[in-house]
Amino acid sequence: MDSFLNAIVSGLISGSLYAATALGLTIIYGVSRVFNFGHGIVAVMGAYLAWMILSGGGQLNMLLGILVSLVVLYVFGTLVYRFTISPLMKKPAWDISTVLFLLGGGILLENVLLQVFGPRVKSIPVLLEGNLRLGPVSIQFNDLFLIIIVLAGIVLLNVFFKYTRMGQAMQSTAQSIPGAKVVGVDIERIFGITFGLAFAVTGFSGVLLSTKYFLNPHIGWEWMVKGFVIVSFGGLGSTNGAIFAGLILGIVEAMVTLYIGAMWVWPIWFVIFMVVLLIRPQGILGGRA
Amino acid sequence: MLEINGVDGYYADLQVLRQVSLVVNSGEVVALFGPNGHGKSTLLKTICGLHRAAAGSIKFEGQEIASLPSHKIVEMGIAYIPEERHLFRDMTVMENLKMGAYNRRARPSTQQNLAFVLDIFPRLAERKDQLTSTLSGGESRMVAVARGLMSEPTLLLVDEPSIGLSPGMRHAVFDSIAKINREKKITILIVEQEIRNALKLANRIYMLKKGQILFERLAAEVNVDEIEKAYF
Amino acid sequence: MKTIKKLSWKNILVILVGLFVLVYPFAGANSYMKHLFILFFVWAVVAASWNLLNGYAGINSLGNIGFMAIGGYASGILAKSLGISPWISIPIGGIITCLLVTLFLGFPALRLSGIYIALLSLIFADSLPSILTQTRDITGGAMGLHEIPGFIPNMEKIHAYYICFVFFLIAMYVIYRTIHSNTGLAFMALRDSENFATTLGVNRFRERLKVFAISSFLTGLAGGFYVHSLGDISPTTLGIEPFLLGIAMFELGGIGTFTGPILGAAVIVFGNEFLRLAGTLRLSLLGLLICLIILFFPGGIMQLVSQIETFISKQLKKRQSVGKANPT
Repeated sequence: MDSFLNAIVSGLISGSLYAATALGLTIIYGVSRVFNFGHGIVAVMGAYLAWMILSGGGQLNMLLGILVSLVVLYVFGTLVYRFTISPLMKKPAWDISTVLFLLGGGILLENVLLQVFGPRVKSIPVLLEGNLRLGPVSIQFNDLFLIIIVLAGIVLLNVFFKYTRMGQAMQSTAQSIPGAKVVGVDIERIFGITFGLAFAVTGFSGVLLSTKYFLNPHIGWEWMVKGFVIVSFGGLGSTNGAIFAGLILGIVEAMVTLYIGAMWVWPIWFVIFMVVLLIRPQGILGGRA
Repeated sequence: MLEINGVDGYYADLQVLRQVSLVVNSGEVVALFGPNGHGKSTLLKTICGLHRAAAGSIKFEGQEIASLPSHKIVEMGIAYIPEERHLFRDMTVMENLKMGAYNRRARPSTQQNLAFVLDIFPRLAERKDQLTSTLSGGESRMVAVARGLMSEPTLLLVDEPSIGLSPGMRHAVFDSIAKINREKKITILIVEQEIRNALKLANRIYMLKKGQILFERLAAEVNVDEIEKAYF
Repeated sequence: MKTIKKLSWKNILVILVGLFVLVYPFAGANSYMKHLFILFFVWAVVAASWNLLNGYAGINSLGNIGFMAIGGYASGILAKSLGISPWISIPIGGIITCLLVTLFLGFPALRLSGIYIALLSLIFADSLPSILTQTRDITGGAMGLHEIPGFIPNMEKIHAYYICFVFFLIAMYVIYRTIHSNTGLAFMALRDSENFATTLGVNRFRERLKVFAISSFLTGLAGGFYVHSLGDISPTTLGIEPFLLGIAMFELGGIGTFTGPILGAAVIVFGNEFLRLAGTLRLSLLGLLICLIILFFPGGIMQLVSQIETFISKQLKKRQSVGKANPT
């Protein structure tokens, strides 16, 4: 029973981190219908940026590191949209060309990072030391902190989409591009902001993931594939769907590790993915197909 | 108010608009008739910036708008009510209407416009917290028109508002358009297949066939048969 | 008077190149060059089949490398463990690939739209390495299969060269005929405007399954020829690098053209040499190459070629009319 409870907790923690990773992916797809095949590398970039600042050490530097990461990636996202994705979208077959472009770009950046930072694993220090004991369950303070940050982030996003003008514009673009145009939304600008926002969120999730797991240029691929599964499970375009899917899959992963064996985790992710795509591509939790 | 001169329009290699020229004066209701697929919707879309003119000029209040992006044209005061409606399906009626007031010029008047719009379409007031995906054809048509009004337009481009509606609904829609023109002094360019009703509403009419303006008439000087004949 | 069909410079070029390839082994090609040509023959078929699926039928499949691996492993295992002759095991490998792909990708693709097919095919190809490691006993796991028998006893590179060359010609012929048949037209119609095509009577389901079947069968065969020519196969065939190389091939040549993938395969296989010199930068260059091609040359080499052609013919016409205007 003890190990079961601990596994649930552990699953919730990793699940919320995965969910955070999936957010950026689902935001971009929801608004612009572009699937970011460079998603993994964006998360890794965010982590490395924070790591660079962090090498100084100390609490304040962590905050600075995260801030820098957010800003740089936001700008990077808008630039990527403006100079590469936007021209591609104006040509035919943009759904294939953007996929291939982002794939190629992702590999390019991954290897640039490899050149700059080397293949050796880096780690970002935990934010808080120590752990909490609730009966049979033991939680690291750091993990608790991570969950709180993720929850706060989700609340912030929901507020943003529901109550701000920009958020409303993004929502309407996601639901009907001609409708958004007709009410006067500047679609180009919204797409640019969407990419920037999504990249920033993704980079941030990369920082969080790196405090718990390790960091090297190649880890992005794994995060990205898990992100794909979560996003499909939760429904492409649905931020809340992504959160629930992340939590569920995190728990599933923990259960599999506990009862079947860590070696089967990866194949299980694949199986879930195939099953979801084959049976209910619009996601178990709604969204659009 | 609106001056279109020599506009050409294409869909890929297919020419759908040929040297179209027309004029809409402030306060008027102008109807655009013509067979389906002959360019009427394309013309409206070109005016409001959803489609690019290949040649020609479109002037609104003296300003050239042919190459402006759609959001700037909305800002200037032209609202387009598409035949396909393009409502935000996962939003309520109220949220759709509020989105209609998105552009900067319209936002201060949001509450007033909401009141006006719900007055013209009382049915929408009843359904204001319902998701638009649950509405009937006529009701979603009303939301489309209402949303367009929320953007504080001085010129309203309406694309086949009565299509697919029951006769009762059609009357309601035409009445509301007449009211909009009368009370708010909004100029209207309307594309319609419902010739009889549109003729009653309009001051002037144009006939568009095979992408070209065939003729222009005062509504009072033409009857339904003449127009119907021109379709063939 | 008999009218002689005018041979364009392109046709002449193709014939010359064909003749060159035919005699090259006797004209002093060393073992390494023969090896490269074998790779070229195999990869060209993979790229062309991939192009059939993506370029002509408009289906965003990303997993074609997986097809090659399935065909290769199937044939290799049959030949090595069961002693079946490659001439039989290769077609069987092709059929197995065809069945698996049509089952796992073709049928789902009937209901899914663009991005989902890309994801599904990616995951399909990505999951193969873990399946390979789990079935270590049969497939050799991460080490791969080695000492796979060749086509004939005591086979030499030169035999493999010609065998693969013939395979290349036959496969290209099949693809060519498919593109120019009613089936090919159906593929393109579905790609360009699905609704319209279905109203014309094109059976969406049948054509989609067909294109998956043809494409995967040919790619599976290519995998088989690859395996018996080189003697080894391992999970690295499914790695990032071959994946990117494959994409670069049909990107570079020109998506949706017949000669595009062939050119692309040629450039990538022979140009891989230069990439090899770059060492660790190799993958970055590949990634960069793909990005640049998509951004600036979406039509690939073929686009460049036809632009040059139009330019030259315009110049020639100018000369002609100037000549006519000034009869001196």
